[in-house]
Amino acid sequence: MRKLKLGGYIPGTSLIHQLDPRTKLLGGLAVIIAILVNDSWPVLLLNTLLIFAVIYLAKINMKSVLQGVKWLLILSILTLVFQCLFTKGDPLFNLGPVVVSKQGIYRGGTFFLRLLILYLSSSALTMTTSPMKMAGGLEALFAPLRYLGVPVNQFAMLLSISLRFVPTLIEEAETITRAQKSRGAPFTSPKKIVRLKTSLSVLIPLIVGSLQRATDLATAMESRCYTGGPNYSRVKNLHFGRKDQLALGIIVVICILPLVYFPGRI
Amino acid sequence: MSIIEICDLTYSYNPHTSFEKKALDNISFTIEKGEFLGIVGTNGSGKSTLIQHFNGLLWPESGNIFVLGRNTRDKNYRDQLWKKVGLVFQFPEQQLFEATVFDELAYGLRNMGLNKQEIDTRVNEALENVGLDPEQLRTSSPFCLSGGMMRRVAVASILAMKQEILVLDEPTAGLDPEGSAHILQTIKKYQQENKVTVVLVSHCINELILLADRLVVLDNGKVGAWGSTRDVLAQDDLQHYDRLFPDYIRILFDLKKHGWKINTGMLTVEEAANELGRVLKGGG
Repeated sequence: MRKLKLGGYIPGTSLIHQLDPRTKLLGGLAVIIAILVNDSWPVLLLNTLLIFAVIYLAKINMKSVLQGVKWLLILSILTLVFQCLFTKGDPLFNLGPVVVSKQGIYRGGTFFLRLLILYLSSSALTMTTSPMKMAGGLEALFAPLRYLGVPVNQFAMLLSISLRFVPTLIEEAETITRAQKSRGAPFTSPKKIVRLKTSLSVLIPLIVGSLQRATDLATAMESRCYTGGPNYSRVKNLHFGRKDQLALGIIVVICILPLVYFPGRI
Repeated sequence: MSIIEICDLTYSYNPHTSFEKKALDNISFTIEKGEFLGIVGTNGSGKSTLIQHFNGLLWPESGNIFVLGRNTRDKNYRDQLWKKVGLVFQFPEQQLFEATVFDELAYGLRNMGLNKQEIDTRVNEALENVGLDPEQLRTSSPFCLSGGMMRRVAVASILAMKQEILVLDEPTAGLDPEGSAHILQTIKKYQQENKVTVVLVSHCINELILLADRLVVLDNGKVGAWGSTRDVLAQDDLQHYDRLFPDYIRILFDLKKHGWKINTGMLTVEEAANELGRVLKGGG
């Protein structure tokens, strides 16, 4: 694999890595809710600062995060242009026949910040939380649904298994693609129908392999007495410590309180 | 004439990131036309990465590789290289996808643009080459065959293309001794009959010693040794790879380590026994 997947987990020991996955999930949720229900400048700026602080503390390479922002920027510039063109309001200046309004600029700007925060907060979450911890955190957060008859444990197992096998499948797809290329598979044919047919030469072996693996995995799990019940144990239990209390406190102060003080339009 | 020339080839996975891992480090050697070259190395020594450079799937980060005289840095050339270099991947049975064995073998041939009749003869020939009965198997699904048979079908699907260079990545991995021997015999016979160049990759040197004209030992992405099989075995500095070697050669290595004047360049058990006898008689 020459290219790195954006947002993939990067192992580390930073403060953010050490936080309980539940804290990070709740924190991410709080940030997202805050910026989606409120678009006033102070709220957006506070959240942007918070996210950059988190990324700094997580010791993630800024460059690798900002690689994804490049595409976001193109999208945002496009929206900014359209917002400027079509949002009516107090005219700020004229660009030929086009009147650029204050509201247009404002909307374009907030839209960009919102996208940026959404992207960065979800990246910060997935880059600092291993898939297994993430599944554990989700399971713990959704645990109360058990009383409504939702099989939370099975869903969590489902989730962690799928997360576990994503990289494996990607790797396998790459190998099969190369193998078919070695037999002259026309992946870059100008004809769409040929390309479509060619993708089958990767999909079929991939599916056959996955089914085989699923059977093997099921056997392996059953032979270790997995029954899908809620009472299986973990090697590492989640631990909600003082750092997590502190982190959640900060999030409440930065994300939730300003919502009360700076009511913005939804 | 060198059919493949590798000059200072270096290749890394995930270059310029924190995950950077050097897979191949300054590799240089040549492969001659018509020879049987064995590449041996432990898991993770870069064997599979190296051979994917031979048919243009990968290209060097620095350094050059010339296949049939042309540099694979040329993208157009690289994209056509599959017609000249056949590559059998590890566990090739995992890449089967067509509905029948015939279609599976014909896939590469159709991509080459051959006509129906030619495809028909080549499929039959390739199936016979790997010891399968064309009449019986042509219309059956490859997924209904046993693992060993699927492997043979997958190998046949490359043999049918009759490229000038044939590269195989651990073609015997996971097969029983009989299946392995069969595949190796097929390859050797195919090489001798068609006068093609064969590169066989393995982590098990036993199967290469008798087949290969020359050996390359890869160690952590570097060339540990390179030369005719006998010369490579006779070298002094091979001892830290000795887990790769068969028992009778390890005995010779051990004796040499203890100061015996013994030639370790022995290919078979008989040769090793004779050499031992000679040294014992001479009081080595």
